Amino acid sequence: MRIARQNWWTAGFLAPSVGLIGIFVLIPIALTVWLSLHRWSTATPFGDAEWVGLDNFDALFGSDLVGRDFRQALRNTFVYAGVSIALLIPLSILFGTIVHRAAVRGTTLLRTVLFATYTVPMIAVAIVWSKLYSPTEGPINQALGWFGISPQPWLSDTSSALISLVFLNVWQQLGYFTVLVVAGLTQIPPSVYEAAALDGARNVKLLFRITLPLLRRTLLFCVVIALINAIQVFEPVATITQGGPVGATNVLTYHIREVGIERSQGGLASAMAVTLLLALVVVVTLVFALMRKGDDR
Amino acid sequence: MRRTSRYLALLLLAVCAVAFAACGGSSDDDNGGTTASGGGSGEKVKISFLTHWAPETVTAFERVTAAYEADHPDVDVEIRAVPFADLLTTLRSQAGGDNGPTMASIYDLWLPELVRDGVLSRAPAANTSEIEAEWPANLAAAASVDGAAYGYPNEVDLYALNYNTRLFRAAGIDGPPATWDELVEDAKRLTVRDGDRITQQGFGLISSWAAGTVHPWTSLLYSNGGELIDAGGRAVLDSPQAGEAFELVDELANGAKVSSPQMSTADANTTGPYLENFVSGKTAMIIMANWWESALRAGMRDAFRDVATAPIPVGPSGDAAHSVSYSWMTVVNGKADDAEQRAAWEFLAYLNGPDSGEEGHSAMAALLQSMGILPSRTSDLEAYRGDLDRDFLTAYVEELPNAKPFPIVLGGQEFTEALQRNLEALQAGQMSAGDAQERSQADAESVLETAAG
Amino acid sequence: MTGRIGFTRRAALLSFMLLACVMAAFPILWMVATAFKSPDEALQTPPVWIPGSPTADAFSNVGDVIDIPRSFLNSALIAGLTTTGILLTSLLAGYVFAKYRFRGKNVLFAVLISTMFLPPIVTLIPLFRIVTQMGLDASLAGVIVPNLANAFGIFLMRQFIAGVPDELIEAARLDGASELRIVFRIIAPNVLPALAALAMFAFVYHWNSYLWPLTVLQGNESASPIVISLARLLTYTGSAANTPQVMAGATLAVLPPLILFVILQRFFVNTMSRSGMTG
Repeated sequence: MRIARQNWWTAGFLAPSVGLIGIFVLIPIALTVWLSLHRWSTATPFGDAEWVGLDNFDALFGSDLVGRDFRQALRNTFVYAGVSIALLIPLSILFGTIVHRAAVRGTTLLRTVLFATYTVPMIAVAIVWSKLYSPTEGPINQALGWFGISPQPWLSDTSSALISLVFLNVWQQLGYFTVLVVAGLTQIPPSVYEAAALDGARNVKLLFRITLPLLRRTLLFCVVIALINAIQVFEPVATITQGGPVGATNVLTYHIREVGIERSQGGLASAMAVTLLLALVVVVTLVFALMRKGDDR
Repeated sequence: MRRTSRYLALLLLAVCAVAFAACGGSSDDDNGGTTASGGGSGEKVKISFLTHWAPETVTAFERVTAAYEADHPDVDVEIRAVPFADLLTTLRSQAGGDNGPTMASIYDLWLPELVRDGVLSRAPAANTSEIEAEWPANLAAAASVDGAAYGYPNEVDLYALNYNTRLFRAAGIDGPPATWDELVEDAKRLTVRDGDRITQQGFGLISSWAAGTVHPWTSLLYSNGGELIDAGGRAVLDSPQAGEAFELVDELANGAKVSSPQMSTADANTTGPYLENFVSGKTAMIIMANWWESALRAGMRDAFRDVATAPIPVGPSGDAAHSVSYSWMTVVNGKADDAEQRAAWEFLAYLNGPDSGEEGHSAMAALLQSMGILPSRTSDLEAYRGDLDRDFLTAYVEELPNAKPFPIVLGGQEFTEALQRNLEALQAGQMSAGDAQERSQADAESVLETAAG
Repeated sequence: MTGRIGFTRRAALLSFMLLACVMAAFPILWMVATAFKSPDEALQTPPVWIPGSPTADAFSNVGDVIDIPRSFLNSALIAGLTTTGILLTSLLAGYVFAKYRFRGKNVLFAVLISTMFLPPIVTLIPLFRIVTQMGLDASLAGVIVPNLANAFGIFLMRQFIAGVPDELIEAARLDGASELRIVFRIIAPNVLPALAALAMFAFVYHWNSYLWPLTVLQGNESASPIVISLARLLTYTGSAANTPQVMAGATLAVLPPLILFVILQRFFVNTMSRSGMTG
């Protein structure tokens, strides 16, 4: 009786979540995988898809235009994510430590200002930064001039465009990761530090001997989140660079949308999405494996 | 106790109901008439028009739709505007459903694929005969696929050399270059450097925008006797004429270094540094379409008097200047229901017809003219003949008879983007002219083959 | 702690923090300053840093191009209803996963949670077609409905609800309370900070979300949230003289999530440290 009643509640409570995630996430994933094996124009019904086996994947890893563009987009995406992570993690540790220790007044202000940028819509960030980077009217080049540095091309040059977008991402996300680090730091009992201090360990040593090892799980979690966020980069590419110059900022979210919707090549775009998903599964599994390996030690 | 939980369940349901009602309510608002107007009898047909026009033009357009609605109380016309870069994506994404825009302003290059995918409505007989009778034959043809008309042609664009006479005077050059050799020589004298860095470029090579990169280059190619695609639909970028055109780009960007690709990138709205640098007098020459006149006027104000236009410089293998030309047209969504399609074609006939504007020209022509764009209806061209004399447009209007359309083929957009990518790589010094030519030909063949298959 | 740090080091730390604050705030300050510039000032090179004679003209011009109240209403509906939906679905599912036992629970949980790290682009195209087939394209419902449940919310709620003592639940059951009542009267008040944090994240995320509404709405301005209307302002960029309009629009779009953040910021640090995700 009691069990039956609970079953009813279980079903009732789970139905909304399972139904919504099933229809709007799981079924689309299955469709993406299915479509990746078909030639399908996005403008036509699913039923018109024509089975082509692994042809789409062959094209992605072939030497033709399609493959070159895709691999450049894949590479750009992971470079963007990698450099973002390489900048975000050390900076968030730095600011997290400062905010956490609250050695001087004003750390709350710092935390608030840093985190405030996270709430700014990416589209607004993109619009504002495109003006900051402007070669002629932009304040950044103007400020560089004060220090005798010649104007930089930023978004206009193949070698600096992607990294310019990384800066914009780091600026927007730093506060979020700083807060995550602060949260991680509060988990470390002060007694650990006191014991180490008695052993005569100084600041830098403390950081590498105690703080970082104990923060490992937090940091790995940050890496995963930063990676997922970085893969979603779209607004600055769509509104400022259009993937250029010479494809230097063509990232996967932009490229898949262009191929799948603008060019209507739904099968090919799905194959790209599946490849991205597989690459992501591999990377995230590696990160979690690292986390587990660390735990065993 | 039990009563409270039932109350909570009801509350939960109520929240959900309100949530969905709010969504549903506002979406109803957007689609079929409002609750106020939906009172029983005559149902209002709501149609929408998708465009990438700037706010000023949309405001002017709203006056036209308001006038139309006053005469047709059963029709409601809504204007939807998106940045240029979102226009094709928006059109393509509507393909599945009937809530997308009812009408759209499109670039002729996109027509074949939209027709193939069944996205567009064929013009009814009356509209077809009007289009064939009232527009120049080549434009009516550009708006047709396999002999069936799909839209009203509206704007026509072509390219000319734009140059800054103030910079020319400062460099001691009398007039615009007529040949490629003169173009390179003049560009050298017009280029100013600070160390290695170009602070004023002799010639602007646009990048990060497919048409902006490819159309000016194609105009140079046409003016060198070359073609992109031959009459049999085969890519012919492997011709010697095309080779010379690739070498010209290489010379401008990497040989003589009179062009700085960084100074000529474009953004999603086909503006950005390439425009800013010409406006601020840091680009001496650039090949651009007539429609940017309004942007130049707005940005340069008094300095606009320094802008002059000339025919495309002619290449060593060419006989005369031949600009690329392209057209835009207004089309109707084939997925909209019959009443909406009927209302849409009626509205387009009005918009592009002699009754909507003043003195017998069309409202569309007035909108286009406000942006500096050439109208295309034969009677509108007549009506605006006086206005077309202005200095800026002279080179364009005179070159119109020599202009050649950009090839309209299946896969045309992708073809353009592939060529853009290779031209940009050449401009950035990542490839030699020979490699760029070879790769462009290979990419073009693969795109055309995939699109046809 | 304070006592151990010398004066010079404190001064150095303070100036470093000040510098960091200024750098972090600079883009926002520049945006606001530019919004108040006159067209002439916006055109000047080198740039004007602080407007000489501040004017709010740009803000009124923005109102001529986009329907600001409508855009805000749409943003509020999208962010508000999506957040409400996420809170409800996450609370219910989180309760089941934390406190109920049934066959296949762990598998089902793993399947749901695995969608947490899914980049939206992977499913964008089929999802859009599904929403279109439901007739929800170009409407607010199409933007909202697919996002009413999400894996992160379920995960977060399960973590927190697991910490609510079973005795509380059993006592309520003995009193004859229904499960629904238990969720809203016993569980919800006990995980209020987590709900507040989830609400903040969901609201900010869906207020700022761009790709999905862009895809679904197909240029339908009457259903556009402020972020999509902002992109509409980009058609203004034909001349740098219009930069103040674009910045004024951006300023307006930034304010609501920023205000919400300032109100709710004390919740999230606590929540994140207790979520078990970080430590």
